[in-house]
Amino acid sequence: MNHKIISKFTRYLVIIIFLSWILIPVLWMVTLAFKSYPEWRVAYFFPKEPTFMNFILIFEPKQIVGMMGATALVDPVTLPFINSLLVVGASTVLSVIIGFFTAYGASRYNSPGPFSLFFTLLTRMLPPATFVTPIMVYYSNLKLLDSHLGLIMLYSAVTVTYGIWILKGFIDQVPIEWEQAALLEGASHLQVVFRVTLPIVKSGLVVSGLFIFLLNWAELLFALVLTNVQAVTLPVHISKYVGAVGQLYGPQAALGILSSLIPVIIGYIIQKHLVTAFTFGMVR
Amino acid sequence: MRNNPPKIITYLANLPLNLLLYATLIVPFALMIYLAFLAWNPAAGINWWEAPFTGVNNFIRALSDSRFIAALGRTAAFVVIVVTIEFFLGLALAYFMLEEFKGKKISLSLIIYPLMLPWVVVALIFYLFFQDYGPMNNVFLKLIIGESAQNIHWFLSSTTAFISLIIADVWQWTPFIFLVMYSGLSAVSKRLIEAAQVLGASSRTIFWRIQLPLIKPLVLIAVVLRALEAFKVFDIAYVMTGGGPGTSTETISLYIYRVAIEYHDISYAAALSLIVLIILVIIIRSFIWYSFERGVKR
Repeated sequence: MNHKIISKFTRYLVIIIFLSWILIPVLWMVTLAFKSYPEWRVAYFFPKEPTFMNFILIFEPKQIVGMMGATALVDPVTLPFINSLLVVGASTVLSVIIGFFTAYGASRYNSPGPFSLFFTLLTRMLPPATFVTPIMVYYSNLKLLDSHLGLIMLYSAVTVTYGIWILKGFIDQVPIEWEQAALLEGASHLQVVFRVTLPIVKSGLVVSGLFIFLLNWAELLFALVLTNVQAVTLPVHISKYVGAVGQLYGPQAALGILSSLIPVIIGYIIQKHLVTAFTFGMVR
Repeated sequence: MRNNPPKIITYLANLPLNLLLYATLIVPFALMIYLAFLAWNPAAGINWWEAPFTGVNNFIRALSDSRFIAALGRTAAFVVIVVTIEFFLGLALAYFMLEEFKGKKISLSLIIYPLMLPWVVVALIFYLFFQDYGPMNNVFLKLIIGESAQNIHWFLSSTTAFISLIIADVWQWTPFIFLVMYSGLSAVSKRLIEAAQVLGASSRTIFWRIQLPLIKPLVLIAVVLRALEAFKVFDIAYVMTGGGPGTSTETISLYIYRVAIEYHDISYAAALSLIVLIILVIIIRSFIWYSFERGVKR
């Protein structure tokens, strides 16, 4: 009995230590976002006079220059935020649609050759830095640099593999007899795909879509290389804020909060499927 | 139905993927191989198709480029260190989380949420965390060393800057290893464990001799995927240290990015990329062979 109490105590201790290790860095960013300028460089966590100033500053940054030691003019976060929503949203829809078709073919007819499947898996496993250079050259010849279309195409190409593998898992579970029954009833093959299989795997579409959204929302390197002014995304905006503007700790923290809101909500919805998603369905 | 697929369906199923892949990735991959053998710098004002060939000069240059070799070695060291730490932390945590206890559900959601944060935000969190007045100096160091702890300027020395990158990566990705191990361990059949208990095995023996060996394939997949992901490391180095001080925390991704974007040495960057790609493809291919195909042939 005594042994059991000790092991129970150890467990709680280990978990509490680990949880505080996870939470303290985030807590620091969250409280920093509500601190006013004089409190950015203090050692305590909770601001004496909480303020929303930092959140206003990231949308209207003109006042930062001069006042808070900033060395350059920063752009408001509005355009990058809208760009991120647009680019990530469109590329997610595209990869889920393409992923569904490919997954259907893979599940029912073994269709896409091993090359396409290996290639999509490969582009996900390789560091983006190793193939972003030729893409930049190619895009500059096609006049796709700094365009939403270029980013959308690239983002869906590098995440479509998750759409394929996650959806293949869902489609594999739809009994093939149901499709055969529909065929016997006189439905065409296309009708079977859209009227029988698609509605059943709806939750798979949602899971893969949300996961792909999560990944593309976080993507920095491609956007950093391929955008400049018009199509700048949120991660690029954050990296510029940290690199060029100096020690604007408060607004930086506010930006961090702004860009984690959507991922945290999505993550909460799909947490049961995260393992499957991250491992291309290899682990269930 | 499986025997006799209408041609149009298989064709339609593959068309979108192939269009997308050729339009965005396969053409650039081919272009990269071509670029790697050129002497082309866009600053010279000519297009890439007008640039002269240099044969394998770019590759020879890479082999004697000490900054490239150093970045490659540093990235490999980073991968080995973070994966090792994450493996043992994740394993320990999975072991402690396995049994039912009060507050388990909320602990689980809290533990895995660093996985969902964008990498840039993680970099930002730790950029703020390691500042002179941040919690690393004022909470953790004081807890470990005591009140006399001096403030460390984390990003000003090459060792501490590298350690700060490792800490940020471990913070974000230990939950991944944990999650895979945890879901593997909780899927191990209860009957098996009860049988072992009846035979008198201690819970430690059960863990090391039964549960862990059963999830070995899962652990292998998780470790390899994590290692490949860790090899990509760019965001935290770019945002937190900028590769500095000097080039002492420059990872391979950051170096290639700089050669291409800051030094405009496109053909050299393509050659560096190809070298890294070939190394990685060999590793990935042998992993796929080891974990999927070996069993089939046996």
